Amino acid sequence: MNHSSHWTRSYIFLNGVYKWKMLLMERIPDQIGYLVLTEDGAVLTSGGELENDERIANLIMGLITLTDNIDSNAFATNEKFDKMSVTYDDHCYIISLSNKKIHVVKKKLTSDGSPPPAAPQPLVDE
Amino acid sequence: MERNLEKTMDDVINTEGVIGCILADHQGLCLGAKGKASGDSAGLIAAIADQAAKLEPGSKSPIIYLQNDTRQCLIHRQGPVVAAIYKQVSS
Repeated sequence: MNHSSHWTRSYIFLNGVYKWKMLLMERIPDQIGYLVLTEDGAVLTSGGELENDERIANLIMGLITLTDNIDSNAFATNEKFDKMSVTYDDHCYIISLSNKKIHVVKKKLTSDGSPPPAAPQPLVDE
Repeated sequence: MERNLEKTMDDVINTEGVIGCILADHQGLCLGAKGKASGDSAGLIAAIADQAAKLEPGSKSPIIYLQNDTRQCLIHRQGPVVAAIYKQVSS
């Protein structure tokens, strides 16, 4: 096998993985944007209102660094947070660490702060 | 003024599930801490609130909510005061 076909195959495989992940993030109900970052803050995939938004990515990396060690009195030093959300009146950012990647989803909220009701689904597949 | 802060913190700490609360001013100086909260983290709490506010500079201050399996932490800026509430998750 020559090198170029190996790299082409690797590229096609990785491209497929990222597209699959992109689809998964896009299927989250009420999401209006998403980012997937590496642990050092590089943008892996993005979409919606957060597409290629490196400013938000950098701010979120800063937030994660700050929240690393909040209060040694209340939280043991080995006790880390695994989910963070930043909530505004009508939308929120949900940030979580999974599979060594930082997932950020921007979601819409209704006026009472709860997620908007899902569209009615037919009970029986037509 | 201190009496109001003390009373507010007492009300918060007596709420079910709350294990600590801390108030900081806009510079990150500690205004008061109750329960399992250290005054040393006042600066950090204010820095977190400032950093989160930079996400959308034109909007109202957001509520920052951190959680793991056993604990929750809420941080919010209201005017010049930043408050953090630490909660124990009941299983």
